[in-house]
Amino acid sequence: MKKTHALLPAALLAALGGLAGGTDAHAATYLLTAARPNQLVLVNATERKVERTYPIPGDGIPSVVALSPDSCIAYVLTNRWESVSGIDLDTGKEVFRADMSEPGLRVKTMFAMTVSADGKELYVHQIPTRLKATEYQVEPTRIAVYDTAAGLGARPKKTFPAPRSIVQLLPARDGGRVYALGRELFAFDTHTGQLAETLPLQSWKQPNLSAPDVLAVWPQWEQSGVFATPYYAARTDLPADSPEAFRTGLLTLDLKTGAMKATDFEPTAVVIFSSVINPVKHDEAFSVYTQLSKIDLAGGRVAKRIDLEHTYYSINMSADGKEVYVGGALGDIAVYSSDTLEKLATIPLPGGVNMSTASMRVVQR
Amino acid sequence: MKHRIPWSALSAAVLLTGVAGAAPVDGRQVLTSTCAACHTPGADGKQPRISDIRKTPEGWDMTIARMQVWHGVQISAEERRALVKYLADTQGLAPSETAAFRQGLERRPNVADHPPNDNLAQMCARCHSFARVGLQRRDEGEWRKLVNTHLGQFPSIEYSLYGRDRDWFRIASTETAAELGKLFPLQTEAWTTWHAHAPIDPSGRWRIAGERPGSGRYSGVLTVQKAAAPDTYAARYEIEYADGRTLTGESQALVYTGYEWREQGRLGDDAIRSVYALSEDGNGLSGRWFVKDADERGGELHGTRIVDGRAGIVAVEPPFVRAGDTVEVTVAGFGLAGTPTLPAGVQLVGAAAGGPERLTLKLKVDAGAADGWHPLKLGAAEARLGVYHKIDRVQVEPAYAVARVGGDGGPMPVVPAQFQAIAWLDGADGKPGTDDDVRLGSVPASWRHENHGEAAKDMQDAQFAGRFAEAGLFQPGPAGLNPQRRFHTNNTGDLTVTATVQDGAQTLEGQAQLMVTVQRWNNPPIK
Repeated sequence: MKKTHALLPAALLAALGGLAGGTDAHAATYLLTAARPNQLVLVNATERKVERTYPIPGDGIPSVVALSPDSCIAYVLTNRWESVSGIDLDTGKEVFRADMSEPGLRVKTMFAMTVSADGKELYVHQIPTRLKATEYQVEPTRIAVYDTAAGLGARPKKTFPAPRSIVQLLPARDGGRVYALGRELFAFDTHTGQLAETLPLQSWKQPNLSAPDVLAVWPQWEQSGVFATPYYAARTDLPADSPEAFRTGLLTLDLKTGAMKATDFEPTAVVIFSSVINPVKHDEAFSVYTQLSKIDLAGGRVAKRIDLEHTYYSINMSADGKEVYVGGALGDIAVYSSDTLEKLATIPLPGGVNMSTASMRVVQR
Repeated sequence: MKHRIPWSALSAAVLLTGVAGAAPVDGRQVLTSTCAACHTPGADGKQPRISDIRKTPEGWDMTIARMQVWHGVQISAEERRALVKYLADTQGLAPSETAAFRQGLERRPNVADHPPNDNLAQMCARCHSFARVGLQRRDEGEWRKLVNTHLGQFPSIEYSLYGRDRDWFRIASTETAAELGKLFPLQTEAWTTWHAHAPIDPSGRWRIAGERPGSGRYSGVLTVQKAAAPDTYAARYEIEYADGRTLTGESQALVYTGYEWREQGRLGDDAIRSVYALSEDGNGLSGRWFVKDADERGGELHGTRIVDGRAGIVAVEPPFVRAGDTVEVTVAGFGLAGTPTLPAGVQLVGAAAGGPERLTLKLKVDAGAADGWHPLKLGAAEARLGVYHKIDRVQVEPAYAVARVGGDGGPMPVVPAQFQAIAWLDGADGKPGTDDDVRLGSVPASWRHENHGEAAKDMQDAQFAGRFAEAGLFQPGPAGLNPQRRFHTNNTGDLTVTATVQDGAQTLEGQAQLMVTVQRWNNPPIK
């Protein structure tokens, strides 16, 4: 689905020119995030500038952003968690729209949405509620499968049951499976809709450790192919007021191999919202909230930590692993050296618009 | 936030405005016309959902507000008022059913909520007070429908803390619904009995007393006159604080469910709202009045109806006296006459002065008088007088408080925290925290705040989070990011509050913790 330059408007040609060449080691890194009021924001992180904004049709505050594998279409959750809008990043046009609710049935998605490895299907974890004359009736949650070519007015081509409280859907890199992260990690066969495997989280048995608390709101695995999110667990062998009573670790899921791993790296010292694996050094992760942390996964330790100027929710990295980008929450993206954690730049969004909980993804072409 | 319910515009005011001139809108008719469009009566005449629930006036009003905001119900303020009145009267809660949860109706700030167990605390009271649950009556099936409404409206319940760690919906719709159906069922003997009870007519004069934290103790007279519309009354306050300041006020009241007094009016310079319960025998009144749109500020009130031929005492000021002192004590009540019967070691000096509603006694308290509360009688009226030699300790109330940043151009005003210094005696065993301890009451104090712990010190919370404005009233800082602060953080803070009390030659201190936090965006009548 690679587009030819002939189809690209001149401005975006310039913007995406560096990426179109494919393997240029000095290619610019483009970040795509979302912000209020209802827009996508394309940022040339290398040149420290906002390249373009895309209005999302209709009402809402955008949150989850999923990219097609060729990074041509961005799917964004909006309209009070009830619609997915697919925006063509070259034309800026809405080319896909799934308004999930219908008369008498409210369908929302909190966080979990992803595109299949081949780009042909969009998976959305749906929370349906039947709105009857005098009562609400909660219906079983499900994964809806959309054909990404369905265009505007898209309807699921199939749905299959999935547990409640799913916070992430993650596509296996070789297709065939979608992982659903909730109270456990569930692997579904996308063809049959059958639950193929359950990896334990709430039911994990770790010596002297409670079940982990995981709220994995932010997806940013597109470069490394490894999803990472923090978890917190309590030491069951220590009193609750002990400084060692809580542990922070990083839960990783290799989307190529399906291997899930929990790496404990410190007694809980700071809050962490999101994490990213270094695309060129998979045993290194970076985590953010009010601090930026470099985590040595091989050694199970925090290698370096700095205070940020303010709180950021989302994190991502340059393709060469040299720069870390922190965004979300407020209206700027800050750039840090992955080596020294030294601050390199701030990229303000136009009007200082809040990104809030929006994903921050790397556009890869 | 388009879907945020504007409670202050829709609810609290609507509940009471225009009471005196209430148009003859028939609540029952609104129910069987407007509501029946969806809640169509079945063969048994019952309207689905509505007929299966009992609530307080505030509870019904919140329900109707949601019907307006969530489902676009078109209903005038008059109709809404009439409907709340009708439903609260016909499907309300008996006095004994609201007794344990009145702090929720009275909007008492910084009151600890007491869910019956940890499970209900996590399933229900992690988002709202347990009082909101305890002030409703439904059977299991109807509680289950409410669980469905919760999740249909707020899917985040399954993702927030204590939601994501369990199969929340399964637990809520089975175990929790069953437990609530047992704890708070629709049909109760208490309600059947109370519903047959004639509504209390509060007309007449009431001797009232109470305390407004920060302003002090007061006593006064509340005069209530029946107004034109059913269950409506005009009320007039005349109160005097312990320091001699006097206030008058006028208000309109409406009595729901035969005993739920709701009122709006003025007291001194404040626009006030009141939430009182009339006692089942019709001769008692208790509750709280608070400042309109600032319900964290207000006063506790209790009162007794003045009945000819009876006597009663509502307040003794000061309520506790020091052994060895000679002090003037004012007794507020009605039908006060005769020679006082005083505690051992306390003598009347001269004659009692004043009239049947207010007597001043000059009392000499012997140095050997016993510590503690002792009966004080005037004829048939009985009260108590506290005696102490020295204050053993000062406790700050509330021990843990929350204040909220606000203002600065934002839609939410600051929410201050009001503290009081409470004097205690350790009792005969001389040990604090034992059953024989004696809580004397509030005493004047000076106030200061400091960082509570290392993290607060590190962030210099005390410098940014606000300051004590007046007697025990902590005024938080403005809302929004503060570029002057590290991390540009809000003017939040974790503070230690200290009251310093001078008791004769000794200086005592008491401490509390104060969390200054961010705005609360949804402030319904029952939080």
